Amino acid sequence: MKRLAKTALLASGLALAAAFAAPAFAQDAINLPNLSYRTGPFAATGIPLMNGQRDYIAMLNARDGGVNGVTINYEECETGYNTEKGVECYEKTKAGAAVTQPWSTGITLQVLPKSNVDKIAVLAPGYGFSPMADGKTFKWAFNPPSSYWDGASMILQNISQGNLDSLKGKKIALLHLDHPYGKEPIPLLEALAAKHGFTFLPIPVGLKEMQNQSAQWLQIRREKPDFVLMWGWGAMNAGAITEAVKTKYPMNQFIGIWWSSLDGDLKLVGDAGKGYRAVSWSVPNSASKAMQDIKKHVVDAGKSMINQAEGEFDWVFYQRGVLISMMSVEAIKAAQAKFNVKVPNAEQVRWGLENLDINEAKLAELGMEGMIVPFKTSCADHTGHGGAWMLEWDGKQFVKASDLIKPDRAAIEPLEIEKAKEYATANAPWPLNDECK
Amino acid sequence: MDFLNSILIKPFADMFGAPDFLMQVLWEGLVSGVLYALIALGFVLIYKSSRIFNFAQGIMVVFAALTLVGLHEKGVPAWLALPLTLGVMYLLAMSIERVVLRPLVNQPDIILFMATIGITLFLIGFGEIIFGGENKVMITEQLGIPTGSWEFEPFGGFLSIEQRDVTAVVGAVLLVAALLLFLNKSKMGRAIRALGDDHQAALSVGISLSTIWVVVWFIAGVIALATGIVWGSRAGVSFALEVIAYKALPVLMLGGLESVLGAIVGGLAIGILEKLFEIYWGQPILGGNTETWFAFVLALIVLLFRPQGLFGERIIERV
Repeated sequence: MKRLAKTALLASGLALAAAFAAPAFAQDAINLPNLSYRTGPFAATGIPLMNGQRDYIAMLNARDGGVNGVTINYEECETGYNTEKGVECYEKTKAGAAVTQPWSTGITLQVLPKSNVDKIAVLAPGYGFSPMADGKTFKWAFNPPSSYWDGASMILQNISQGNLDSLKGKKIALLHLDHPYGKEPIPLLEALAAKHGFTFLPIPVGLKEMQNQSAQWLQIRREKPDFVLMWGWGAMNAGAITEAVKTKYPMNQFIGIWWSSLDGDLKLVGDAGKGYRAVSWSVPNSASKAMQDIKKHVVDAGKSMINQAEGEFDWVFYQRGVLISMMSVEAIKAAQAKFNVKVPNAEQVRWGLENLDINEAKLAELGMEGMIVPFKTSCADHTGHGGAWMLEWDGKQFVKASDLIKPDRAAIEPLEIEKAKEYATANAPWPLNDECK
Repeated sequence: MDFLNSILIKPFADMFGAPDFLMQVLWEGLVSGVLYALIALGFVLIYKSSRIFNFAQGIMVVFAALTLVGLHEKGVPAWLALPLTLGVMYLLAMSIERVVLRPLVNQPDIILFMATIGITLFLIGFGEIIFGGENKVMITEQLGIPTGSWEFEPFGGFLSIEQRDVTAVVGAVLLVAALLLFLNKSKMGRAIRALGDDHQAALSVGISLSTIWVVVWFIAGVIALATGIVWGSRAGVSFALEVIAYKALPVLMLGGLESVLGAIVGGLAIGILEKLFEIYWGQPILGGNTETWFAFVLALIVLLFRPQGLFGERIIERV
């Protein structure tokens, strides 16, 4: 009986200690939720990205004890790239979140109106709704360093050698996932086709057709487009590249957006995919100090989930995931400095995201030289429009194949403002950020 | 007038104007049809013997293909990985019968259907833990499947036939022939058919329900493996393969849930017709991507006239 009483006393003591210790830990940590997708038809794309995000935070926690001495709690909530599950995950993780990362254009569109109410910034690097660049309308949304419309503009800049009028009379097809993400560049491409006199041909790929795109590639064979642009995700990329090889479509006329540059997809076709290009705002650099620190503190320590046998450490997507976490962390650092707090709240982190200045000197300080395009956000500009490079598949890996390309902002900006206004009107009353000039 | 022309005249003019392209469309449709038929066969076999609509057929395709590739990644040669995968599929069939189906004997159909959803969720989680979610390369060449292509110039045009697709078609035909032979000529096959016709009567003459269920789920596993090899060799092996199972649903509606012949004819018909419709009507008139709904509309039209499907048995109930 005495023993039982002692055990009960000990258990109660432990429970009390845990109850008091938990809030103390939560207060001294920054919560960084991620609406990730490691399962389902898009898992192949999601896994290396999430691994990169996770490992950068793990490295900072191991090497520096977090950010300025504050540990970061990186927490994934699995969405399977499903919009309904994504919204559930947002609701589940929003309490105490420094920033939210929806990881799908569909989820981003659903979360956008909620972020105004919950006052949590939405970070969607290189994805989401392109007009989110307009900070006056989208106070809580950020899509640095380049938007999809920037991406479409840069691809056209590249294939026309900077003179879009030279595309007159040419036919440009857009092979895209039939999903909000895949449809995102269509308004800009339609506008540019009308302005510069090229024929624009959208070719949708349904979810069930991702791995059997013979009908889409028969259309490409019949229409003979001069260029095929691809907005593919998950298994669609591998399906398209396999069909392109089968159809013998010239690889140097086939260009993807940055989410169509997964090493694992191209490894399926190997040498046959030589010459395939993708526009990308990031370039892998495994020898950089940041990556070597990840190797030392996370990978070699057995704390990483990467597939080392497949060489995932060197992949474009893994290292892009690292860069995406870097953006969140730099926003947190900026908020800590500005507001002189250890654990900034979501509103303060939003300020940090609005004042990101990722320049060459900052990248050198972070040990990430040349890995990402330099960019600077502001109250009015939530993208930064840093530009991108072309990556080319050499049969074994992606290599940098161009100098920095910049989007034609003069052509994009009016459309961004118009569509942002349309969005605000359709979702009235929509709060505008009047602090932005 | 232009609209009528685009529906009634232009598509046929295009077909006859470029016969080599039409041949390519028909070939691609045939290959897709064979693959749809294969998936549908897995559903039909299980439904025939147990009246269970097996929601897990799609994930079985993924699981079988991942097991094959996963074993090879662990250093097992392809010639050994193939029978080992078949062994795993047999173990899976046995486990499903023991753990899931046996305790649910005599339960309503909907309970058994829900149980197959449970099997699906389990296999997704289990498969992801064991194999991970990354896209893997199918061991096509190691299995001796040729990967080149034959090129022809019919009518002065161009026709490309992938050797891999020819192998898939031939393999599927052989598999179906073996299956029909097994179902119609072997004692076990007759027992499966008897069970499909009348559970009570079959049990009363001593047919073992457990044995039949294991055999049928194993055959569905073999079909899943064949499907996984063929689809996986086209665009890699990943959990995305699971969604192709949904392509079998209109095939089953069209052909009838309990007809092997229906699955084959339905698969081929949908494969060819959806490709023809997409290329000659869907893309020029509707902007494409009609393959996502065409087969369902076709099946719906058939159901209006034949609720049991083209080859399904007419359901007559005494009231």
